[in-house]
Amino acid sequence: MPEAAFAELDFKSKLKMDLFPTIWCPGCGIGTIMIELAMVLDELGLDQANTVIVTGIGCTGRMGSYMKYDAVYTLHGRTLPVAEAIKTVRPELNVIVVAGDGDTASIGGNHLIHAIRRNARVTVLCNNNEIYGLTGGQTGPTTPSGTKTLSSPGGNPNTPINLQGIVRSSPHALYARTTVYHQPQMRTAIREAIQHDGFAFVDITSQCIENNGRRIGFANANEMLTFYRKTYKRAPKGADRLGPFELGILYPEDHADRTNGQADGSSQTDGDASAGEAPAAGAAAAVAVPTTEAPVPARSSVSDDEKARKRAESQKKLALMQRLDPEVKLQVAKGEITLADALRAAGIDPAELEA
Amino acid sequence: MRRLVQGNEAVFRGAIAAGASYYAGYPISPSTEILNVASGWAAEHPEFGFLQAEDEIASANAVIGASLAGAKAFTATSGPGFSLMQEAIGYAQKVGVPSVFVDVQRVGPATGMPTMPGQGDIAQVRYGSSGDYTPIAFYPNSVPEAFNLAVAAFNAAEESRSPVILLSDTFVAHLNEVVDLDELEAAVTVAPRDLAPLASDGAADPRFFAGVLMYEHGPNAGEPATADADEYLRQFYAAKHRHQEVADRYPLYEHGWNTDASTLIIGYGIVSRVAAPLAPDYALFRPIRIHPMLTDELRAIADRYETIVALEANDGQYADMAELALRREVKRVPLLGGRISLEAVNAGLARVLGDGPDEPPIPPAPAERADRAPLGIG
Repeated sequence: MPEAAFAELDFKSKLKMDLFPTIWCPGCGIGTIMIELAMVLDELGLDQANTVIVTGIGCTGRMGSYMKYDAVYTLHGRTLPVAEAIKTVRPELNVIVVAGDGDTASIGGNHLIHAIRRNARVTVLCNNNEIYGLTGGQTGPTTPSGTKTLSSPGGNPNTPINLQGIVRSSPHALYARTTVYHQPQMRTAIREAIQHDGFAFVDITSQCIENNGRRIGFANANEMLTFYRKTYKRAPKGADRLGPFELGILYPEDHADRTNGQADGSSQTDGDASAGEAPAAGAAAAVAVPTTEAPVPARSSVSDDEKARKRAESQKKLALMQRLDPEVKLQVAKGEITLADALRAAGIDPAELEA
Repeated sequence: MRRLVQGNEAVFRGAIAAGASYYAGYPISPSTEILNVASGWAAEHPEFGFLQAEDEIASANAVIGASLAGAKAFTATSGPGFSLMQEAIGYAQKVGVPSVFVDVQRVGPATGMPTMPGQGDIAQVRYGSSGDYTPIAFYPNSVPEAFNLAVAAFNAAEESRSPVILLSDTFVAHLNEVVDLDELEAAVTVAPRDLAPLASDGAADPRFFAGVLMYEHGPNAGEPATADADEYLRQFYAAKHRHQEVADRYPLYEHGWNTDASTLIIGYGIVSRVAAPLAPDYALFRPIRIHPMLTDELRAIADRYETIVALEANDGQYADMAELALRREVKRVPLLGGRISLEAVNAGLARVLGDGPDEPPIPPAPAERADRAPLGIG
């Protein structure tokens, strides 16, 4: 049998595995966003010769240091002017901004509304964890009303900022909302955002267990993810705006290649509010989850069967990995030893990989 | 072709001659003409990147992004906008981003007296951002010099990999002088870009341009160095020495007028032009490179004079630097409130040379309402 190493997953070629483990707290959502982004970049063939990452500051900003791309770790709040200028000077590059909600919508809020006004052709991934995490847990621009934080001990008295409304103030901008739980949907949203020729914003609800989640009553990150699973539902077919806790992609009015209406769902979302009518041609449409039958532009040479096979294979590996000591797991993840060797050393027959 | 050229336009044309291909700015008098000229240039030259930003913070950060992407980039502003740019200037210092920031000074602080001329940003240029850094700054006093120093600023920025400041003031900016731009352009030498642009080499190790201290080389490359003083020292002194070494290639100053006189006047920018009628009775030291301080040059010159007087449109900002460099008294004639006139200069000189105070006599507030001069003139 072929020697199987956990580190062979393709997207890992986009990450600096030698710097792992990351600085992020256990249970943090940022790593998931990074992996989903790396998967999309890998799938689209975007590498360090054609793509630049521009990050905000703080926890989320550190993502740029773990990815194998030239990256700019900007001043707090200043991702968009930097990104827009890079795109102006080098229009052939894909410019991807990754920043937290405070960076994007508070200190960088003015840049956000004007980058949208100018339809800067950049992709923004907003790690929206509804808190200032690195500084200990202060109220952010997206913190829900009533949430108790270090800086609003009596509960946040303010209404959170309406990111959807701000982004959708432009007829050219794409807005998508997803969560760290809904990973395939997140991947679709990131892919669509990167491929959108115009300003694209992916609003990713994400968990900060250490400096927010526990304070508001979650025992661990898994509880927060479970909350996302149970609470967030995909938007009704053809919706032109996302209601509270609705997931989907809102294409701009002038999106050329997009037929309206919603594709078939995936098993990721528990509920399926499928009511709603297809809007008139030219109007915006929500597409919650992609269908495998949907016409996909020729951007990936990997067939769906092949993807499914790889997915099953990696899940099998992951399950076997769970039976190893954490230290050994880390060695395997870094590629220092192969999974087969590690399994053998732990008294597990590597043939189980084939089973 | 010889024609009337405005100081602001000369700055822009000098930038173009130096290879600038990106401008970001926000309207603010008295720098606005640079934005206007840049927008016109961009309309005629599609390869020239132009951004009218939402504010000066965005302008400054866009210049950083454009430069990292490979363009020679600049912005222009005046005092209040320059204050907003300070954090970005610190970032460009830390990261090593070649870039040019033009500050056309007016009377401050805050909105101040728009747009009477001032020179109040001499210290801000040196110390405006947080932390320690070594800025390079030039200050012309004529239209052709504005052109040439714009070129020098871009070249020094490339050589030092740092944000270089080109100072100006309302009068230099709005001065119109007969200049042959073609002739000036023909004499320009352009420093090449040393820093590889973003995403230019798919095979090289990916770079992480960070405002936070990171290990850039060696076994820890890519990891934060936020608690390592040794690494801070390595990076700080490397930048400081590099900037000083590049500045030394531009020891720009003027030593003239009556060099047999006993009193040396220090004056720069428009003040050195306004004071020119004093030529028969005084010597002049005009620093053109404002930062880093021309310490050795000034020391050698100052030794020849009994008295030194700094004439400047601020409350002694360069005088403080000169006094520290010379370890001897530098008398001050502050030309404040936009009153940069030969009368004010003469009155000030008479005062301080007679061992009077720096401060001019302050007239009492008028008891009755008086007709004021129109805005921007009186």
